[in-house]
Amino acid sequence: MIQFERFTLANGLKVIVHRDTSTPMACVNILYNVGARDEDPEKTGFAHLFEHLMFGGSINIADFDNALQQAGGENNAFTNNDITNYYLSLPASNIEVAFWLESDRMLSLAFSDKSLEVQRSVVIEEYKQSYLNQPYGDVWIELPKLAYKVHPYQWPTIGKEIDHIKHAVMGDVKAFFQKFYCPNNAILAVSGNVTVDQVKALCEKWFAPIPAGNPPLRKLPVEPKQTQARKLELERDVPVDAIYKAYHMGARMDQSFYAMELLADILTDGNASRMYVELVKNKKLFSEISAFTLESFDPGLFIISGKLSEGVSLQAADEAIQEELKKVALAQVKKEEMEKAKNKTESSLIFSEMSILNKAMNLAIFEVLGAAEDVNKETERFTKVTEVDLLVEASRVINENNCSTLYYRSKTKANGN
Amino acid sequence: MRTTALHYIIVQKQKPMETETKLDRLTMPALGKPSKIDIIHAQQSKLANGIPVYSVNGGTQDVVKIELIFPAGSRQQNMPLVADTTNVLLEEGTTKHSSEEIASLLDYYGAFLETSAHHDYATVSLYSLGKHFSKVMPVLEELIKLPSFPQEEIDVYLTNKKQRFLVEEKKVRVVAARNFPALLFGDNHPYGHAVRMEEFDSIKRENLVGFHKGHYSSNGCTIIVAGKVKDTVLNALSDSFGKDDWKGDVEVDGKATEIKPSGEKKHYMPKDKALQSAIRMGRMLFLKGHDDSIPFQILNVILGGYFGSRLMSNIREDKGYTYGISSGVVFLKEAGYFQIASEVGSDVCDKALVEIYKEMDRLCTEPIPEAELQLVKNYLRGNVLRSMDGPFALAERFKQVWLHGLDYSYYEKYISTLADITAPQLKDIACKYLQKDSIYELVVGNKKS
Repeated sequence: MIQFERFTLANGLKVIVHRDTSTPMACVNILYNVGARDEDPEKTGFAHLFEHLMFGGSINIADFDNALQQAGGENNAFTNNDITNYYLSLPASNIEVAFWLESDRMLSLAFSDKSLEVQRSVVIEEYKQSYLNQPYGDVWIELPKLAYKVHPYQWPTIGKEIDHIKHAVMGDVKAFFQKFYCPNNAILAVSGNVTVDQVKALCEKWFAPIPAGNPPLRKLPVEPKQTQARKLELERDVPVDAIYKAYHMGARMDQSFYAMELLADILTDGNASRMYVELVKNKKLFSEISAFTLESFDPGLFIISGKLSEGVSLQAADEAIQEELKKVALAQVKKEEMEKAKNKTESSLIFSEMSILNKAMNLAIFEVLGAAEDVNKETERFTKVTEVDLLVEASRVINENNCSTLYYRSKTKANGN
Repeated sequence: MRTTALHYIIVQKQKPMETETKLDRLTMPALGKPSKIDIIHAQQSKLANGIPVYSVNGGTQDVVKIELIFPAGSRQQNMPLVADTTNVLLEEGTTKHSSEEIASLLDYYGAFLETSAHHDYATVSLYSLGKHFSKVMPVLEELIKLPSFPQEEIDVYLTNKKQRFLVEEKKVRVVAARNFPALLFGDNHPYGHAVRMEEFDSIKRENLVGFHKGHYSSNGCTIIVAGKVKDTVLNALSDSFGKDDWKGDVEVDGKATEIKPSGEKKHYMPKDKALQSAIRMGRMLFLKGHDDSIPFQILNVILGGYFGSRLMSNIREDKGYTYGISSGVVFLKEAGYFQIASEVGSDVCDKALVEIYKEMDRLCTEPIPEAELQLVKNYLRGNVLRSMDGPFALAERFKQVWLHGLDYSYYEKYISTLADITAPQLKDIACKYLQKDSIYELVVGNKKS
């Protein structure tokens, strides 16, 4: 249970405070409600490139990192398809430094040409490091493209192609900032050894003077129901064949999401999971297999990915996965399997609340999803799922006509088929 | 341009006086008085059979982590991969339960098992909710005392591990990390050995059984407990591990192997068509308790140990050659070494190398500006606080001195060195350890493009 208080500034900035006096530290998490899904299809990768630029100097402060480090702090940030999230931790006695820094870059960036030029290169190297120079790296470029035809989830957060990043110009940067980086499009969550009054006073001082903006109302195209199986084959310089199957499923806050998360656990989480026992240990068709959801805010994907054992054909591997999936789509899972998955999930949630950073981040994320209060309803939402619910959801999702399948073939044929 | 840490301090000094009413966004708010760092010590006790137990009680959540440490690392093995394989296979079946049954039991109570084998030791950790602790403790006991190493499980594990090994070999970063220590220690030394594919085939069941018998027994074991450590937890621990039923002939220390560094300093492993090349550079240092250890660690942070480091500022933030570059110090029980790691665009690899040497040289020739040094001191002080936040973190701090035969005075010394060290002292340390001709260099990738 995470206790918190919430208030909103006149300019629309939502603030959430969680007090934890067991630590000498404080965390400040600021979430901007903009992700890769909000990008122009011709200028993808921009939300993420922009995240890098947020460290390139703001209107009054030349160097974010140096100032924060001076205060004993550390920070990082991530962008995904849905949001851009910045977080830092520092000794609670220096908390005001965090407010000074974060409010200045919300007020305005320095928009330095040098920063744009360098960060374009840095992001291009990140693109190579994570997607192009990694075995199986381009799966996360190709698979979403196959699964989504109209929704912007069809491109990866880093961008459709390197050229989109290469061609980003300062005009785009400024327009993006104007559009999305305003107090009424952000959520500030503060956790740790702080008081609500202290945070209120600091918010009034540093964030209240920032004028509200006009963030656009999000109107994303709805992905039409997939009615036919989709298949793609790639051949790459990788040592073993791999298979990826992506099924359309519900959105993050749908009750059906919780059923699919539990299903993923039952199928591949741990040595006692169904597919691990059946396909890795008994039939030895895979060297590894995993099922997971992408946790995306809009209707997302349920993915099964596996690396094939030597001598196994992609066709046979695909059929074996479908056979296992058919079992959960046709008959209820055992009560005991369900209980295990629920207990594991509950336990993970309890462990994750050991960290004040996790708590701040989760509060901000649930607030943007609807209400921060929901962070404390997660356990209940998992517990509520019955074996019948899971069956209903699995039989709705698990269907080849709702699936995009990627055969990722090894060019070197190390596994001899 | 962001080449030094000085910039905003200059801004601060040049700022004209403003009226009191206007919000001053140019000046950094005054820093709070640095709080005294209280290092909460682990409490020591002993089980009836002599196993030392160190416990850190605290935290907001009713959770417990139990970590059992054994002298069962690669330094203690007599053939490659045995320590690692034995450690992993502990949870793959006992004389009473199958791998699947063990996992089921733990899953049911929401407990997690973590096994890891290092060079000097191996650990088995159990994470559990306080309320279920007594239910899962017997499972931990069973897999430590009665593993059966089923042939079937060994085969599945090794086959799949070989595949993963092949996939990992495709990553320039991994190849560099695997092969760099051999340059410093020689390939025959347990700290330097780079695992080869064919070595997976020589592992036999009897090797694992023998290694377990010789290394996973009460007389070599140490236990660290963290979280809400109630009496019930300590009692359960005593019931499971405090008796004399799992004594063995422990071979605590492996045979000493001579360190044979490579004769050549520069090494290149080509990977055709690699878009990025992985760089590893470094040298042998000293043990963690050495007099130069803490000063060198501070110097390392300035060079490549934090986001604002000189390597990051230059190679990433100024030149854009990489997504990341860092340096670090690795302390093992019998040795310590320094290394720099990065993946850079293959086309700019040579330029990046020049800049890396330039940054090391700069530390040897120019004293670190006062403002940069102060910044790093503040940052590291914050880091000390962060690294001791919560019972699990405190347990880790204890482990990291205990493993090296040190005690909490190491952290007191770290904090006082941090406060007192000067730029000239750091320059001396740089001159002593960062001379270009002492640095080993490994590039994995594509230098031609």
